[in-house]
Formats: sequence, C-alpha cells, structure tokens
Amino acid sequence: MNSTVHPAGQPSVAIVGGGPAGCYTAQFLRKAWPDSEIVIFDRLPMPHGLVRYGVAPDHPGTKAIAKQFDRLFERDSVRFVGTTIISSDPDTGDFSVAQLRAAFDVVVLATGLHADRPLGDAGDVLPGSQLNGVYGAGRLTRLINGHPHENVTDVHIGRHSVIVGQGNVAIDLLRLFLTPAERLRELGIAPEVVASITAAPVSRIDIVGRSLCGEAKFDTAMIRELGKLEDIRFEADQLEIGELSGAAETARRDAVATLIAGSDPTATRLVHFWFGWAPVAILGDDSVRAVALRPVTGIVPSAVLRSALPSGATTSQTIELVADSVCTAIGFTEHPDAPFRRIDHEDPEHTDLDRGVLGDDLYCVGWLRRGPRGTIPENRADARMVADTIVAHHSNTTTTKAGLAALPSRSASATAELHLSKETS
Amino acid sequence: MSKTVVLFGTESGNAEMVAEDFITELEAHGSAALADMTDFDIADFDPSDSYIIVCSTHGDGELPSGAWPFLRALEEETPDLTGIRFRIFGLGNSSYEIYSHGSEIIDEKLRELGAERIGVYGRHDASDGSLPNDSALEWLQDALIPA
Repeated sequence: MNSTVHPAGQPSVAIVGGGPAGCYTAQFLRKAWPDSEIVIFDRLPMPHGLVRYGVAPDHPGTKAIAKQFDRLFERDSVRFVGTTIISSDPDTGDFSVAQLRAAFDVVVLATGLHADRPLGDAGDVLPGSQLNGVYGAGRLTRLINGHPHENVTDVHIGRHSVIVGQGNVAIDLLRLFLTPAERLRELGIAPEVVASITAAPVSRIDIVGRSLCGEAKFDTAMIRELGKLEDIRFEADQLEIGELSGAAETARRDAVATLIAGSDPTATRLVHFWFGWAPVAILGDDSVRAVALRPVTGIVPSAVLRSALPSGATTSQTIELVADSVCTAIGFTEHPDAPFRRIDHEDPEHTDLDRGVLGDDLYCVGWLRRGPRGTIPENRADARMVADTIVAHHSNTTTTKAGLAALPSRSASATAELHLSKETS
Repeated sequence: MSKTVVLFGTESGNAEMVAEDFITELEAHGSAALADMTDFDIADFDPSDSYIIVCSTHGDGELPSGAWPFLRALEEETPDLTGIRFRIFGLGNSSYEIYSHGSEIIDEKLRELGAERIGVYGRHDASDGSLPNDSALEWLQDALIPA
C-alpha cells in the first residue's frame, strides 16, 4: 500500500461523510480526476446518509439516488471506509481531521447536520420540550429507516399527534403516520416501529406552522400526494389569510384548498393545518398532554387575525390542542456532541463558505456548508460548485500525498473497510 | 464523422446515469458523445449528428435545474433547428408530479424550433422505485434497430 503512486496533478481526496453531499462531491471530483485516490469515511458501516436514513421509505424514486452512489464504489474506484469516526480532538475517534489533512491533499467535510433543532427561540427552549412524547423528526425518520443508533422503546405516537413544522419532512411524517400498518410493514419498516406509530391508532393530527399557507415550506407535490390517503378529512385554519405574492404562493394555497375540497367529510380521521400559529408551551406532567398555540403576530393585521379566530379568542390568547405526542420538524442543526464542529475548522484567513472553503486544502459541502435547506438533489448543485472550487485550487498540484496509505494504523478490530458490492446486493 | 449526442438534463443525477448507460451502449455501435444541458452550447447542434435527449422532471412537473441553461439558450437565441433529429427519454414519477413533464418542456421547445422528434417517446416512471436504467436500455435497443 505504501508504494501507491498518484499521477501528478491528481490529488488524493478524503471526504468525511458518505451522505448525498459527500457522494455527489466524489462524483464530480472523480470526473475531474480519473486517477485520484478518493476515500469516503463514515461513522456508520454503510454509506448514503440521508438517502438511507432520511428519505421516507415510500419515496422509492428518491431512494433510487443511492444506486448512483453505489456506482462510485462499484465502478468508479471510490473507496468507502465505514465505522470510522473523524474528530477534531486527536484523542477521540479513529482519526483526527489533522491526521486526514496530513495524509490527503484535499479533505472535504460533508457530515451534514444531525440534530433536530429544538423548539423555542434562540437559546430559550420551549417549556415542556423535555416531556416524554416529544420527538424530533430526524430521530423519527432514522427510526423508520432502521438507523442502527436509534431505539424505539419510548416512542408512542398515540391517537392525537401534533406536528410542529410544515416543511417536506413534516409532511413525510404526517403521511407515514396515516399510512396503514400493513403498508408500512410492506415498506420494510420494522414491526415494532410500525406498532409505535399505529398502535393507538392515530385519529387526529394537527400540523402547525408559523407561516401562512402561501409561505409554508412544503412542496405542492407533497400536498397532492396526501390526497391518496384514505379515510381522512382535511381542514385548515387561516388558509385564506394573507396576500399571495406569486405563483408559488398561489400554488401552495391551491394545493391545500384542493386537498380539503377533495377529502371525505365523513372520514373518521382528521388532519388540521394551522397556518400562522406557533407553540408557546407543551403541557403535561411527565408526558405530553397538550400543546398551547398562539397566532404569530406581525404577519397578519390583527383585525384580520381576530376575525379568523374562533369566537371569543384574542390574539394574545392561546388555544390548547390535545396531544399524546409532539413531533418537531423545524430543521436541523449541528449535534452538540458531534466529533467535530464546523467552527473548529474555520479560520479567518482562508474561510470562504460561499465557495466551500474552510482552510488551506480543507473544504465543506452540503448542509454543513449552507445549512439545513433544500432537498437531496440540491446537494448535487452544491457539490458541483465546491468540486469546481477544489479542482481550481489544485489544477497545478504536482506533488501528492499518499492518502489512505499515509494514515497511521489503527487496531485491526477497528478497521472496517467495506466492499459494497457484497453489502448492497 | 456523424455521431450520436446524448444530451441530458438532470436534478439528482439519475438522468445523467441513464445517459452514461446510453453512451456505453452506443459506443459499441459507433461514435457517441455525452453532453450536459447545463453547459451544452446550442451552436453545436449539427444536422449530421443524431441526438438522444434524456431529461428528468423536478418538483411538480417542472424542469430539472440542470436543464434550465439549455432551455434559456433556446428561448433567447431561437436557433433554427430544422434538420435536427432527436429521440427523447423522459424520467418522472407518476405518484406526485405531472408525470414526465420535464422532458415534454424540452421536446416542445425543440420541435417549435424546427427539430424533428423520431421514434417512440420513451418514459420511465419511478413511482414503483424501479431504476430508469433497465427500461431506458430496452427503449434504446428498439431505437437502435433500423426501421
């Protein structure tokens, strides 16, 4: 291995994180550098990241992106080194970022954002967030997708669930919660996970967002898909409030209006959209009992708001929704215990996040670079941009570092290089 | 020498993967070239070449982001594409979009500018989770058999 020779101008590349951002980056770098050593490290035994653990199992079209990534390992000589933790601190994890930088010409951090953003304003956690029955959407989608580090024991969605957030992840949860148990099992979801969702069974879901319908974060296609679920009456609060400023806003409102108009008024299950509302507290003793909501002020004239409220309510008054569970789907953030944080590796002299540059020969891509926005395919454009930056920086490289062969050895038991042709068959 | 140009428009890369498979197959029969709608120069359209368009659909029946530069160039420069012959293969998902509409946007624009679509309009529906590659290669086989 130590005799590995890399052609001049084709630098060795280490990518930390085998999710979409890392894999797309490897694709673009491979096109530019057919002979480079490109290695993707991941803390899990398997690659694909959010394609595997974030995309809903009933969206096989999106899951199919994984097939592209498999080609990297099967055909394009990109190596995958799993079960390996890369950290800032040389004393924890398997390798430090510094060790990677010493061994590889280019290091790309693509670890995403793992933690569910908590409810509440900056630094001010919403009262009741710690109660039993409050679940983050990231955790739930990992659980649904069989992530090895998640545990189902304390998860019970119950009869009444409140979903906070109205982006595509929230709509995924809404749809899966209302999908028949048999279908969920067909999709490959573990029976105990299916039971944690459907055992009660779910009879009402309230889905709450701060934005008015036109500004909500979901894609209209996701709303149209909800129309295929059976035995559900959809309704919405403040649907007609607010100006529609463009085609996308109109399309969103039309999609929800169409969903409501086409739903069965005699259905036994109810989904209520709350547009322009925010939770002010989660109530309960040990476990969730209810969620208190208040209209978001400032986005709607208060006179209009008052007229839209249930009789007797005021804009400062809260209403309570009965809830057995609260699922938060309001975005993602760096995990406080992550092996490294992006900030650890920023330096004022080099860092240029707009181009994916963290330091000298150190880059970042995907959610870690730009924040938790956009669908899986959007990472392709992001990866293309960062790969262009990397290739431009290294077009004149003549000396190359030896890559994997130059990393210090670790104990044999800790070494787990996987051969994906076997793993993914 | 005439060649077959496989021109793809993609969002997630799946259309590119199909296009790459087409190239592999076509190279066994003759000269082929891969081109991305993101950086294809429409001045390169050549009536002596034949074209295969592979285009996905994004969102609710929209064009994938990778196809936008191509469509914009066609709209702004309105080249005369008379004599250009193309085959088309569209990717889509009938469960949550206006199925395969992305490719139709490109198809319409090319024909409006004088290009001629030949052969069967190929489509793949990802709603069952199947990959487009197999059905696309079947379609290509039919296309390669001289009528």
